Amino acid sequence: MDEKNYKDKRAKEVTQLGAGHTEYKYEYAPELLETFENVHPEMDYWVTLNADEFTSLCPKTNQPDFGTLIINYIPDVKMVESKSLKLYLFSFMNSGEFHEDVVNKIGKDLVALMQPKYLEVIGLFYPRGNISIHPTFSYAKNEDKYKEIEKYRFLNRNLNPQRVG
Amino acid sequence: MKLTPLHVTKETNIQYLSHELLFLAQSGQPYRGSVYINFTSIGETFDLLDFKKYLTSLRDKKFNAEDIAFEVYETITKSIQTKNLGVIVDLTARGGIQQRLSYGAEFNAVQKENIFQVR
Repeated sequence: MDEKNYKDKRAKEVTQLGAGHTEYKYEYAPELLETFENVHPEMDYWVTLNADEFTSLCPKTNQPDFGTLIINYIPDVKMVESKSLKLYLFSFMNSGEFHEDVVNKIGKDLVALMQPKYLEVIGLFYPRGNISIHPTFSYAKNEDKYKEIEKYRFLNRNLNPQRVG
Repeated sequence: MKLTPLHVTKETNIQYLSHELLFLAQSGQPYRGSVYINFTSIGETFDLLDFKKYLTSLRDKKFNAEDIAFEVYETITKSIQTKNLGVIVDLTARGGIQQRLSYGAEFNAVQKENIFQVR
């Protein structure tokens, strides 16, 4: 694909990136998520997205929660556009969510959006009441290779509990 | 918001820090950062539950980033009497630019981490 075609294609795919004015939403808004086409679908490669500023509210007390989200995925045809992901994650700001629920919710939204070969979402939340919660969501496409990755990572998660993760 | 004063021994050096500062830029984009407060007591400090509620109240308020250290400083000075009060705010980078704002007396902010607190 030549450079002009590549730029035209990317410009049509995403609407929020480079839009000038950005509207921020502070209640859960999965419709903000956008994708662009993976132009290397024949390759298996990892994409990691780190979100250090995730925040939501405790659904019971309304107290703020904070955490880091790590999203690792192997794209298939669609990839999540990072500005739309940023806006989507900001939209949890005034949403009441348990840590375990929100990690699964984000994982399921991203699977529905992209249908990736593999995807995991790891939440590293700040301690509350001396306890920090680190849930992990994982999904694999129904092919042996990706199911094997999912199984390996599931079985081997946090084997050394002295360390954060 | 006014913070409830609490009695504390005079000449106690007090430093508070929170890595959970959140407020909105004028554009509506959330700003995240850490706030450090340092002072010497002249007989009082403020209630920490009040301070937590105050920090939480900033979540839906808009400020210019450069004004946030003064905002915290002013809230404290309107609530209690102190000596050598200083406030430092470290904001996370926006557009590749990191900002540190300070107001009042200079001090060295202690970096204190919980090993399970991932930031």
